[in-house]
Formats: sequence, structure tokens, C-alpha cells
Amino acid sequence: MSRLRTVLIAVMSLVVLTACSGAGDGSSRELTVWIMGDSSDRFQELVEPFSARTRIRVETVAVPWDSIDQKFTTAVASGKGPDVLQIGLSKLRAYTRSGALLDLAGPTLKGHPGLAARGFVDRTALSGGHASSVPWSSDTRVLFYRSDILAAAGITEPPRTWEQVRADAKVLTARDGGGYGFFIPQWDSALPVIMTWSMGGDIVDAHRRIDFGDPAFRRAVDLYTGLYADGSVPADGDFDQVQGFVSGATPMLVSGPYLAGAISEAAPELAGRWAVAPIPGDVTHTSLLSGSHLGVWRTGHDRDAALRLLDFLSEPRTQLAWYRLDGQLPAVRSALDEVRHAAGPQAAVYAGQLSEARPLPQVPDWDSRTGKALLDALNSIVLTGADPGTALRELSAATRGTSAS
Amino acid sequence: MSRQIIPYAFIAPAMLLLLAFGVLPIAVALLVSLTDLDLAGLGDWAGAGYVGLDNYRSLLADSAFWQAMANTGVYTVLGVPAVVVTSLAVALLLNRSEGRFFRALRAFYFVPAVTAIVAVSLVWGYLYNTQFGLLNHLLGVAGLPPVRWLTDPALVKPSVAVVAVWRGTALNIIIFLAALKAIPREYLEAAALDGASELRRITSIVLPLLRFAIVFVTVTTVIAWLQIFDEPYVLTKGGPLGASTSVSLFLYQQGFSSGRFGYAGAGTLVLFLVIAAVTLLQVRARRLDAS
Repeated sequence: MSRLRTVLIAVMSLVVLTACSGAGDGSSRELTVWIMGDSSDRFQELVEPFSARTRIRVETVAVPWDSIDQKFTTAVASGKGPDVLQIGLSKLRAYTRSGALLDLAGPTLKGHPGLAARGFVDRTALSGGHASSVPWSSDTRVLFYRSDILAAAGITEPPRTWEQVRADAKVLTARDGGGYGFFIPQWDSALPVIMTWSMGGDIVDAHRRIDFGDPAFRRAVDLYTGLYADGSVPADGDFDQVQGFVSGATPMLVSGPYLAGAISEAAPELAGRWAVAPIPGDVTHTSLLSGSHLGVWRTGHDRDAALRLLDFLSEPRTQLAWYRLDGQLPAVRSALDEVRHAAGPQAAVYAGQLSEARPLPQVPDWDSRTGKALLDALNSIVLTGADPGTALRELSAATRGTSAS
Repeated sequence: MSRQIIPYAFIAPAMLLLLAFGVLPIAVALLVSLTDLDLAGLGDWAGAGYVGLDNYRSLLADSAFWQAMANTGVYTVLGVPAVVVTSLAVALLLNRSEGRFFRALRAFYFVPAVTAIVAVSLVWGYLYNTQFGLLNHLLGVAGLPPVRWLTDPALVKPSVAVVAVWRGTALNIIIFLAALKAIPREYLEAAALDGASELRRITSIVLPLLRFAIVFVTVTTVIAWLQIFDEPYVLTKGGPLGASTSVSLFLYQQGFSSGRFGYAGAGTLVLFLVIAAVTLLQVRARRLDAS
């Protein structure tokens, strides 16, 4: 029955996609844009000036984060995709390899100086021979903490090193009224990597291959499992990070700027009782550079219009407008500098952290292979009491040799 | 001549649907399973290469696949008897009266079959939630510690199976009720006149006459549970640590999240063969039983 359902869904998506792309014929120019998550209405608002100026209509389609793979696969299979689509950084390599995106290297971008690599915070996508996307928004991870709860427990400063995090978390867990000290999302494969970086190590070796043999990674594992062993983090995988932070059950965690929006929405009265700080670190304070890019569908019907839209979206003032509308940090360096100086202490922390941030290794499939193997190894230690030595050996065996160019 | 064509004309629509949505996909899966088709190959078929039986070899060496097979086995062993026994018992109880209350109950028991799976998962997710869930709240009232229903690797399979049983009973209750209605009243009245107790009437008259319905429900339920997908997908996405991943979910993840279509195709064929073998065994057993 479920197989039949899958087939039906595939057929229906094809019908819908055909209907969507069929509407673009005729004399007026129109672009279909896939925007991730629930930002599509605000995106429509953002591009209104563009449509008014160029008379190119923009049709925004909202795509939920966890169904992008199916939608993309269906679009590749049918050959009918959007004109422009937002791509999460962790999917970039797989989507580029699919061949569905327009190669933006070299001559294609002539006449679009705003899209040159040097203007962006993250230059990885446009360096080298192949480029299938331009950066669109930046994201990073910082330390969120409840200043009121930390102060009540006698902690006046947010922790600066991981050792302090562990010690403070112990103190907070022991406070009256119960609760924990820290929160580790069991689905967050970036956190152990951030821990490794900030302990001065890496998970990629000199030959650009995945290598979990670094002593700093071993220290990160000790930290990750130690927080569980201390009883400082909740062990249930369905723990709600926003509720945990708002209720005070988990007064510290590592997350991205989107959490600030979620907290303000869930508990506006909490303003002033929480703050953000740079990622703790023993050697560096390196955090994750993530975010999303925009790609152009190779077989789209109006390539010129798509590139003009990309041009518009990477203008510093568009990027600033997007930060004000949606809270996503700019990917363009000059716009980011402006945010850092003009948009309050929180934004300054984000922007500062972005200057000390790096992307996850560009492996063929981080989410469902390399990152998943990493999480499975760590979580098997903390949830089922697996032997750390065995779990890490299996992790190394499962990921050895994965190229991370 | 025309007389010979007529029967074929009648079965043609069903046959065409079966060919288009049953046989053709399996044939395609078989072909794909011999290639290394991925996202790139999907856009340009020339990019996919023939790899022989490599996919099958790595599938059989993949511990995640065997974990999913074992999970599916556990689901089936837990779920099928529970579904068959529960729906039969509920049907027998519902059949006791034609009153308005019983007719309302009948509709009530059918609700899970027509409720959208997304709503089902949301509500059950809230019931099971470790922090805020109703179940743990009740445990707390009784002075018991909270239980990690969906996030404890040992507990997650029974928790997911309960939801699937709840959904699975709905349709089968209706099937049993229809079969119960077909049992002639005279048999039961005659037995009652002869002084047979109610239990005796059920075991000696009702159950034997329900045999075909029971076999039908068992066979279709086994097939459904070997393909279980919806419940683990919406409740846990297969976690924690793959402890609730069924074979169908594993194949979906390999195909649609990782883009390994050849690999997923090989798994699909293995699952198809397992289901075909189990179903043949059941049908054969029934034939032996009948003769």
C-alpha cells in the first residue's frame, strides 16, 4: 500500500510541477523560485522592487526543509525544476553533482560583477573550476545562555572554554528545582565538529579525506560523552530546545540565530534575561559557517532573468533588507559589516562569529552518511552505553577515505 | 468470438492498473538495481553504469540493512497477532447489538483509518513526548519516573507498533463485522436452544465460519506490516540509532535522501521476494489445512 502511495505522490508532484512550469510561457517573463522553510511570503515581499523595475514576475514556492530531497529528486527525474532555488550548504555538493544546476563559472557570470566570489563571506562555492551557486544567506552557531539563571547560580560570565562549560553545566544541574545545565540536540551533527575545531583539531586530514583519528576529536568525544555522564544534558531525543531554554530547564545551548527568533516569539517577556556569546573553545573559537546558496536550474527557460534576479539578491541593500525582514544574516561581506556595526549586540556576536567560522567538509553526502555515522557513533555511546573505543573504530572504518574536497 | 473477448474486456482495466503500478515498477527496480544510478544519472541516463550484482553484495554486507530487516521482523511479530486478535475481539463485541450506541462505536473504531497520518503522528508524538507527554504526566501523577517512549532504543519499536496496531485495526474490524453479518442467525439460535454457552457458540460456530475472513485479514496484515513505513517515518524518522527503521523506510532513505537509487532498487527487490515467499507459505499452509 505504501509503495502505491509513493507512486501516487510522485505522479501528483509531476502534475503539479508541470502545471507550475507551464505557466511561464507567453510574452511576460516569470521566474519560479523555491524558498526553504516558512520564509516564502517575506521573500515575495523582498523581490517586489525587482519585479517592479524589471517587469519579471517572481513566483515563490515554499519548500519544507525535510522534503527538499524528494522535491529535488522528482524535479531532476522529470527534468522540470524551478528557475532559481535555495540550497542548504550541506546539500550543495550532491546537488552540484546531479548536473541539474547551471554552471556559473567563468563566462556565464560576465556582466554580473555583483556575483564575483570576492564579495562574499563564504568563497568556497565560487572558487575552483566548478561553481553551481552563489551564496545567499549566512548562518553560524553561537552559545545561547540564560543570564538570569547563570547569575542566580553564581556564574557571572558565560563560559569561554569547554572545560568551563562542563563545570558550569554541573553547577546549573545541581541548582534547586531541578533541570539540566546544557542541551545537546541528538540530531546536530555539526556540534561535535565545532567542538573538534575549537579544540584545535580537524576531521579532515592533509589529503582532504575524512579522518576521525585526530587527538582533538578524541577530546571532543570525551567532552560530548562527559556532558551526558555528568547528567548535565537531557537524554531524551524529543526534548524541545526552545521550550527547554524558555522554561530554564536547559539554560545553555549552542544554536543559530534562528533560535533567537524562536525564543522572542515563544517568550517575548524573556528579553534581557538571555544573551549570546561566541563559541567556547580551548584553542580557537571556530564555529560552523552554514547558510544557503542560490542555484539556477540548467534547463530553465529564462536564464538571463534568473541571473538578473541573483544579481539583485546579492546587492548589499537587498541583503540588508532580507536581514531586517527575515533575520537571516547577509552572505555579502559589506552588508555583514554593516549589520555588525549597526544592529545591536546580538547581531554583533553573530557577525563576529561569522568571521571565525568554517563550513563542514564538502563530502558527497554529509547529512545521511558522514554526519549520520558520526552522530550514530556518539549517540550509541551515550544512549546505549556502547564501548567508546569500538564505536570510534567503527566510525573510522565507515568513513575512512571519504573525499572532502 | 465476441463471447471469448468479453471476459478479457472485463478484467482488462484491473490488469492494466496492475501492470502499470505493480509489475512495471518491479521490472524497473530490477533493472535499476543492476546499475549505480544516482541523482546525476537520473538527469542523464547515460551517467548510470552497469554494476552487476554489486548492489546486492554490499546490501547483504550492510549492517543497517540487517538492522532494518530485524526491526521489520519484530514489528511483524508484535503487530500481526495484535491486529488480528484485537480487531476480531472488537468486531465480536460490536456485533452484539444494533443499537444506536453500537453504531456510533462502529464509526468511532473506523476513525483511525480515515485520519490523516500527519495528524496521527502529531497527536501521538505529543502523547509520547518525554517532557510534556500525557503518558509521562500520568506516570508522574502515579509517582513513577518518566519513560522515553520514542527515544529509548529498546522501547521505540513497541511504542511505534502500538500506533500502527491502533491504525491497522480500523479496517479489519469492518471486514470482520461484514463476515459476522454473513453468519446465518439460525445456526446460533439452534445452538442456543441446545444449551450451548456463548463461549461455545463463538469457538464452535462463529470462528470456524469466519475462517476465510481470518485468513484474508492475516495475509493482508502480514504484507502490510512487512512494508510498514508511515508510522516510523512520521514518529521517529527511524531513530534513535536506527532502532525503529523498517526496511521500507531504509529503502526510502537510501533512495530519496542519499540518492542511491540502484542500491535502494536492490533492497526493494529483496523485500519483494521476502513478501512473496511469506505470502506463498501462508497460502500453501491454508491449502494444506483445508485438505
